[in-house]
Amino acid sequence: MSLLLLVPIGAPLVAAALAAVLGWRRLTSSVTVLAALCILISGVILGFNHGSGVRFAIANLFRADALSITMLIVIGTVGTLATWASIGYIDAELTHGHTDARGAKLYGVLVPIFLAAMASAVLANNIGVMWVAIEATTVATAFLVGHRRTRAALEATWKYVVICSVGIALAFLGTVLLYFASLHAGASSGDALNIDVLLAHASQLDPAVTRLAAGLLLLGYGAKAGLVPFHTWLADAHSQAPAPVSALMSGVLLSVAFYALLRVKSVVDLAVGTGFLRTGLIIVGLLTLLIAASLLVVQTDFKRMLAYSSMENMGLVAVAAAAGTKLAIAALLLHVLAHGIAKTLVFLGSGQLQAAHDSTRISDVTGVLARSRMVGVTFLVGLAILLGLPPFAMFASELSISRALAGAGLEWVLGAALLFVVIAFAALVRNGSRMLLGPPDAGSPAITVPRSVGAALVTGVILSLVLGLTVGPLLELFQTAATLLGGTR
Amino acid sequence: MNATIGLAGHTYLTYLATALQVLAVIVGAPFIVGGMRQVRARLEGRAGGGIGQPWRDLHKQLRKQQVTPQGTTVVFGFAPAVVAGTALLIAAILPLIALGSPLDPAADLFGVVGLLFLGTVALTLAGLDTGTAFGGMGSSREITIAALVEPTILLAVFALSVPGRSANLAAIVSATADNPGHLVSPGSLLAFVALAIVIIAETGRLPVDNPSTHLELTMIHEAMVLEYAGPKLALVEWASGMRLTVLLGLLANLFLPWGVAGADPSVLAILIGFVAITVKVAVLAGLLAAGEVFIAKLRYFRIPELLAGSFLLALLAVTASYFFATPTN
Amino acid sequence: MTQATYNGVLNLAAGAFLLAAVLIVWRRELRAIVGLLAWQGIALAAIPLTEGIYKHDAALIVVGVIVLLLRAVALPLLLIRAVGTEPHERRESTPLVNTTTSLLITAGLTVLAYAVTRPIIALDPSPATRAVPATFAVILIAVFVMVSRRRALSQAVGFMMLDNGIAATAFLITAGVPLIVELGASLDVMFAVLVLGLLTGHMRRTFGGTDLDQLRELRG
Repeated sequence: MSLLLLVPIGAPLVAAALAAVLGWRRLTSSVTVLAALCILISGVILGFNHGSGVRFAIANLFRADALSITMLIVIGTVGTLATWASIGYIDAELTHGHTDARGAKLYGVLVPIFLAAMASAVLANNIGVMWVAIEATTVATAFLVGHRRTRAALEATWKYVVICSVGIALAFLGTVLLYFASLHAGASSGDALNIDVLLAHASQLDPAVTRLAAGLLLLGYGAKAGLVPFHTWLADAHSQAPAPVSALMSGVLLSVAFYALLRVKSVVDLAVGTGFLRTGLIIVGLLTLLIAASLLVVQTDFKRMLAYSSMENMGLVAVAAAAGTKLAIAALLLHVLAHGIAKTLVFLGSGQLQAAHDSTRISDVTGVLARSRMVGVTFLVGLAILLGLPPFAMFASELSISRALAGAGLEWVLGAALLFVVIAFAALVRNGSRMLLGPPDAGSPAITVPRSVGAALVTGVILSLVLGLTVGPLLELFQTAATLLGGTR
Repeated sequence: MNATIGLAGHTYLTYLATALQVLAVIVGAPFIVGGMRQVRARLEGRAGGGIGQPWRDLHKQLRKQQVTPQGTTVVFGFAPAVVAGTALLIAAILPLIALGSPLDPAADLFGVVGLLFLGTVALTLAGLDTGTAFGGMGSSREITIAALVEPTILLAVFALSVPGRSANLAAIVSATADNPGHLVSPGSLLAFVALAIVIIAETGRLPVDNPSTHLELTMIHEAMVLEYAGPKLALVEWASGMRLTVLLGLLANLFLPWGVAGADPSVLAILIGFVAITVKVAVLAGLLAAGEVFIAKLRYFRIPELLAGSFLLALLAVTASYFFATPTN
Repeated sequence: MTQATYNGVLNLAAGAFLLAAVLIVWRRELRAIVGLLAWQGIALAAIPLTEGIYKHDAALIVVGVIVLLLRAVALPLLLIRAVGTEPHERRESTPLVNTTTSLLITAGLTVLAYAVTRPIIALDPSPATRAVPATFAVILIAVFVMVSRRRALSQAVGFMMLDNGIAATAFLITAGVPLIVELGASLDVMFAVLVLGLLTGHMRRTFGGTDLDQLRELRG
C-alpha cells in the first residue's frame, strides 16, 4: 500500500518526461489526462482502504490520512477535467497561431509537473518537504502564466513570481523556526519536522517561538492562497494564464496552499491554544472577503472577476478554519471540492469566450446563452454553484459554515462575512446576467468549443449535480479529516 | 577601575597635564590646520604656504581694526568667544594627554557633545544675526547637518562605552587600553566609520564642506562667518582649528589609546602622553588631508544621505556592542 | 578553533552580513549592489563553514562550500549578465523612497528585528543564536528593498537578499535544517532566480526596458 502513495507523484512525472521527449501531441496529452486520473483513482482507493487511519511511506516522509486523501481527490478531479480540456484548448491555440510548438511542448511538460508538485505537497509528512513542493508549484506555474507572451501576461508573471516567492520565503522561515522549537522540545533532528512527531511534542513547543513561526507561516502560505496582504498577484495571474491553467490554479492550487495552513494549525493549536491562529485567520479572512467583494463590484474583465471570486471563496474558507469545529472543517473541505469543480466549469467556458472574442471585457460579451448552448449552460451552472444556489454543493457547505460560525460563538464574524458574500453575490449576478442573458449584439463572433473541452464541461456539470445531491461516502472522509485536525465539536 | 579618578586631592601633576593639554591645543591648532593645508598643497603639486601660515594669518588679523556690521546684536559679538570657550573647555575635559583631568566628573559623553553643539549653535545664531542672505543660508545648512551629526556622535561613542559600562570618556579610553581585542569587534569598527564621517561633517571638511572655497553658494561654515573681520575673525578661525584638533584627538584616543598617561601620572608619563597625542593627531590630520585630495565635494542634497547612513552605522554599532557581548565578559 | 575565535568569527560574519544589506539599501548602481550581494554570500557561507570547523562536522562544511559557490558566485553572475550593457540601464532611477528616508527606515527595522527575536534568544542563548537578530534584520530590510525599488533587477537582488537572510537564520538557529530540505530550498532559489533572469530578458524585449513602473496595465 505504501507504493500507492507514490503513484500520484510518479504518474504525472512520467507524463512530464514523455512530453519533454516527444513534444505536444495527442499521445502525450492523453497520457497527462491518464496521470491526473491516476491521482484521482489512488485517492479513491486510499479512501476506501485507509480512510480512518494513517499510512506512511519512504521513511515517514509521506503520509496519507483522511485530509490528504480528500485533497488528492480534489486535485485528481480538477486535474482530470483541466488536462482533458487542455487537449482541445492547446490544439485550437496551435491552429489559430496563438502559440507555437515550443510553447505547446512547454505547456505539456509543466502541467504534469505542476500536478506532481501539488500531489507531493498534500502527501508530505515532513512539512519541509511540503514546503519544497509548494515552492515547486510556483516555479512550475511561472511560465504557464506567461504562456501567451503578451505584455499583460509578462507583467502578471513578474508579479506572481515576485510576490509568491516572497511569501514562500517567509513560510520557509516559519518552517525553520518551527524546526528550532521542535528540536528544543525534544524531537530528534532527523524527523523534527514530521507532522506526527510535531503533534506528539506539541505541548512542549516553546509558545513564543511557535507564535512567531505561526505568524510567518500564515503570511507565507496565505500569500500562495491569495489571502491578504499578499494577494495582489491573484487577479493578474489567474486572468492572464490560459484557461485550463487558470482552472487548476483557482480550483486547486489555492486550496493546496490552504491545506498547508491547516496542517500547521493543527500543530500550533496544540502548542499555544486555539486563540492565536483563530484571531489571525479571522482578520485575514475578513479582510480578504472585504477586498474581494469590493473589487468584484467594479470589475470590467470577466476573467479577473472569476479570479476575485476565488479570492472571496478563500476568504470564506479562512473564516471557516478560524471557527475550527468539526462541522466547520468538514464544510470547508466540501466547499473546496465543489469550488474546484465550479471554477473549472467557468474558467473553461471563459477560455472559449476569450478565444471567440479575443478580449476578456464583460461589455464585449453578450447573449452567450443564445449563441452557444454548451458554453452558455455550463457557464450558467458554474455561476449558480459559485453563487451558492441549491441544489449544488456550495449551498450546503456555506450553510454549514454559517452554522459552525454561529455555534463557535463568532456571530459577528458571520455577520460581516455574510455581508461581503452578499455583495459578491450581487456583483456576480449582475455581470453574469449581462453576459449570459438577453439577445446577443449584432456581429458577435461564433463560439466554437473543441470536443475535449466540451466533454470536460459536461462531465464537470454531471459531477457537480451528483455532489450537490449527495455527498455520499465523502462525508465520512470529511468528518475523519475534521477530527484529525483537532476539531472538537 | 582607578578609584582616584574624580576625587578631590588631585596631584599637582594632573593639573599640569590638563594645563599642558589646553596649551597644546591653543598653540597647536593652527599648526594642525597649516599642516593639513601643506599636505594638500604638496600632493597637488604646489609649494604651499608652510605650516606656520595660519599663525601668520592670525597675527595679521589680530592687528586689524575691529569692524562690526550695523544691525547686529550682542549675539554676533559674543559668538566667537563662545565657540572658542567651548573648544577650550572640551580640550580641558577630554582625556588627551592624561586620564585624570580635574574636570573629570563632567567628562562624560553627553557633556562633551553638548558643548560641541553649543559652539555650533552660537556660530549659527551669529550667521542669522547678520541678516544677510548668505549668513542665513549657511546657518540653515549647518543646522541641518548638525541635526544628524549630534545623535550619531552620541550613538557612536555610546557603542564604545557599552563594554566598559560607563559613559565617562576616561573610563572608555582606559577600558579600550586594557582590552585591545574590543577594537576588532563589529561594534567598534562600525563606530569608527560612523565617527570618522561625522567628524568630517562637524568640522566642515570635504566631502561635506570645502574649507578653501571662494564660491559663496557652496559654503556652509564659511558663509556663516562671512561678515566677521579682524580680531573676531581670528578668534573664529582659531576656534574652528581647535575644534578640529580636539575632535581628532578624541578619535585618536578612543581607538588608539596607547601612550595616554594614567590617572596618577608622573612627569615622564605626561611627556610621553604629550608626544603620543601630538603624533597621533598629526598623523590623522595628514591622512585626512591626503584623502581630501581625492574626494570631490558632495552636492548639498546628498549630504543628508551620507549622514543618515552614518547614523545607521552608529545605531548598528550600538546594537552590535550590546548583543554580541561574549560570555567571557 | 577556540571558543573565543568561534564567537569572534561568527559575530564578524553576522555583522558583515548586516552591513552588506545596509550598503545595498544605500547604493543605487545596479552593478554595485550585485557586487555587494556577492560579498553578502561570502559572509553567509562563513557561518556554516565556521560552525562546521568548530564542531568538526563534515556535512556542514560541504553545505558551506555549496552555499559559497551558489550564492557568492553563481547567482550574482546570473544577475550581472541580466544587467543591460547600455549605460542608462546601470543606474537605478529614483527609488520610490529617497535614500535618507530608506536608511532611517532601515534603522527602525533593525531595532524591530532585535525586539521580535527575543524569544528565540531566550529559548537557546548560545553564541550562534545571539547573532540571529542581525540576520532577521536583513530579512526585514530585504522585504523593504523589494517594496521600494523600481527596477526589476533591484527587486531580484532584494529577493536574493531575503533568501540569504532566511538561510543565515536557518544556519544559526539549527546548524541547518535537514539536508534534504536545504537542498530543495537551494534548488528552488536557483530556479526562482533563473526565472527572474529570463523574465527580465523577456521584459527588456517586450517593454524595451526593465523599469517596473511600466508594468501598469493590469489594474483593479
